[in-house]
Amino acid sequence: MQALSNRTSGFKDEVIAEPGGENLMRCYSCGTCMAACLVRRQDPDYNPRRILHMAILGMRQEVLQSHLIWMCSACDECYPHCPQHIHISDLFKAFRTLAEREGHLPSGPAAQVNERTCVACGLCVEVCPYDAVQLVQRRVLGHEKMVAEVNAVLCMRCGVCAASCRSASIDVPEDSDQKLLEQIQAELQALEVAA
Amino acid sequence: MVDAARHPNIELLTYTEVKRVEGFIGNFKVLVEQKPRYVIADLCTGCGDCAPVCPIEVANEFEEGIAPRKAIYIPHSQASPLLYTIDLDNCIKCYKCVDACGTLDAIDFGQQPKQTWLDVGSIVVATGFDSFDPTPLEEYGYGHYGNVITTLELERINNSAGPTGGRIMRPSDGKMPESVAFVQCVGSRDERFQIYCSGFCCMYTIKNAIQWKLEHPDTDITIFYMDIRTPAKGYEEFYRRAREMGIRFIQGRPSRITQDEQTGNLFIQAEDQSLGRVIELESELVVLSTAAVPRADAEDVGSILNISRSPSGFFMEYHPKLRPVDSPTDGVFLAGAAQGPKDIPSSVAQGAGAAARAARILRSDTWEIEPIVAVVWEDRCVMAQGKKCGICATKCPYNAIITQEGIAASVTAAKCHGCGGCVAECPHNAITQMHFTDAQIFAQLRALLAKEPEKKILAFMCHWCSYGGADTAGTSHFEYPASSRGIRVMCSARMDQDFVFEAFRLGAGMVLVSGCHPQDCHYITGQQVGAERFERLAKRLENMGISPDRFRVEWISAAEGGKYARVIREMDETLKALDPEALKEEIERVRPELEKRLRRITEIPDVAEALEAIVSV
Repeated sequence: MQALSNRTSGFKDEVIAEPGGENLMRCYSCGTCMAACLVRRQDPDYNPRRILHMAILGMRQEVLQSHLIWMCSACDECYPHCPQHIHISDLFKAFRTLAEREGHLPSGPAAQVNERTCVACGLCVEVCPYDAVQLVQRRVLGHEKMVAEVNAVLCMRCGVCAASCRSASIDVPEDSDQKLLEQIQAELQALEVAA
Repeated sequence: MVDAARHPNIELLTYTEVKRVEGFIGNFKVLVEQKPRYVIADLCTGCGDCAPVCPIEVANEFEEGIAPRKAIYIPHSQASPLLYTIDLDNCIKCYKCVDACGTLDAIDFGQQPKQTWLDVGSIVVATGFDSFDPTPLEEYGYGHYGNVITTLELERINNSAGPTGGRIMRPSDGKMPESVAFVQCVGSRDERFQIYCSGFCCMYTIKNAIQWKLEHPDTDITIFYMDIRTPAKGYEEFYRRAREMGIRFIQGRPSRITQDEQTGNLFIQAEDQSLGRVIELESELVVLSTAAVPRADAEDVGSILNISRSPSGFFMEYHPKLRPVDSPTDGVFLAGAAQGPKDIPSSVAQGAGAAARAARILRSDTWEIEPIVAVVWEDRCVMAQGKKCGICATKCPYNAIITQEGIAASVTAAKCHGCGGCVAECPHNAITQMHFTDAQIFAQLRALLAKEPEKKILAFMCHWCSYGGADTAGTSHFEYPASSRGIRVMCSARMDQDFVFEAFRLGAGMVLVSGCHPQDCHYITGQQVGAERFERLAKRLENMGISPDRFRVEWISAAEGGKYARVIREMDETLKALDPEALKEEIERVRPELEKRLRRITEIPDVAEALEAIVSV
């Protein structure tokens, strides 16, 4: 049984104070977000409504330590349907910022930059929907140069940067070009066998 | 309707629009425009011979557009009075109806709009509501998928006098649906559309479901809801009956409805919150329970009758608890869904209440009003000297002041509620408010600041809210420092900036002006008039060199005793932290400026003169 008396009553205020977390208390748990969610099709444990409700109840540790808060892909399928006009992916960004501050980091690694080949064209900075990439000065192989740098908390591992990079210098390790190509090949082979 | 039409004391004016309303409680003059029907009311017998010969067919508004009507038509079969009307926008003037009418000769294409002035004692506004158009909710596909309909459309399909003769059939193929899903809260409780709960949709959906189940027990009926609201007498029992009959209730708001092109069936996706799982339900018909929204022309009606609207757009009652039937304008009453979404029993109750309130006025030869009305000193009003002014009229929330160039402004006492906004706004001190004259208030503040003014907080409080708040603080034993001195006026609109200047001239340590929260104002827009003035005043005081800490504006409701005490405590702490000598010095520095602004105060009549003016009125 969940003992609600142990809840951290200030947690909602913490979330509300975080950029993106302002509208947390508007949620009346109608479940529209859950029904619209693309991520829950992959993982039935994932339920944005439940996570918001846990935050409202003040279940601080459960929310911040959960691997589920790192799963929102910010596709914003839920946002246009939410009757309370809550930008849910922004709320998840707030949860993630708070989690990172406590030292809880996501399980899967963020997009990674190959600094040797990066030419700092800035395309990834432009296409990133989450403002997770920026150009910084680095010393690479003895030379000062500009390279892209990924903010692991903001990065949603969507792979837009990897798909648009012209020098194949940025990649999401869990969904790297190589892994995806292997998957496609396996699928094609399976189709051929079936045919 | 027929009973009303037959009643000897009721004159029914249909197809008529209210154009203007003048006058006041018991003495309204209403200009109405009778629109031309192109059918002579005295000659038409309602026999209906004309409609079948009319070659034009347009969507029937009464049938929600799912059936046709002719260009010569009656709105519905029980219409009262039973008179045909020609819809000239669609009529092609083939005159076949004229031939069909024959010797009755009731059709007259030459009719013109007719305007009439009516003398009435009171007015009841019962203009009803509109149904929310769910087209903007694209996820539900209304307008794209034939088998997604609104409740009102279902009501027509399910009605024995409706276009299908009461046989339920779905629009795409005319088939009797074997499964139906109802979706609640479409457009209501929704930040994007209407944030309020429409209140009666849960009940009518349960009614439709039960009715359907009684006729066709094998139909699979599902209701998607966020919360079922059955608060009135017998309602919860009705809900239980629906569950016992096997109607399925799923708590979860659908995120999307999709359509199978072949069958026309619909797939509804929602989270079943009890299961914590997303479910997909196939249904042959989807019925959307749409929000009740204010009438499209509510704003026009409101401005004709000078009654305000709530943030939701429905007409605002005078007081939500104590005067729920009265509008803010005396003699105008509200009934039914024009005031807010309501079911039938509540509408009937409010209608009966409004009728009784209206009848009270009609039976009286005289009407008592509050004696605190505004009075104009005609010799001071610059309008009488041919100058342009009229500020008082623009600030009056009740349209009670008549201004005309060359003539002094005049207050219609029966319309004035005594907020005092005009009095404080008049730049020439040409208006006063009985029992709240400038002289009386100056006398109070001079007395209150007679001793050690630099240690005092002078608080101006409005009668309805912040004075009540101070009272609540007292009765609840919330402690606050004894340094505050209060002056009560009716509304923050009455708090003249001269009062604040005078308070500082006399050396007041601090001045607080407080009133209702904007939505609570008892004088429609009185608080707004005050708030705008205080905003200007705060800047002016700062420019003059009075430190901003010394002037504070707070909105405190009658329930917020704690807030009143807290504000006074905070102000007292700030005041104690300041050096009294510095405060005095500050006043001395700005004294010439204050005195310049207060030069008119010497002209302010004393109490005796004010009384004399009132007696002469």
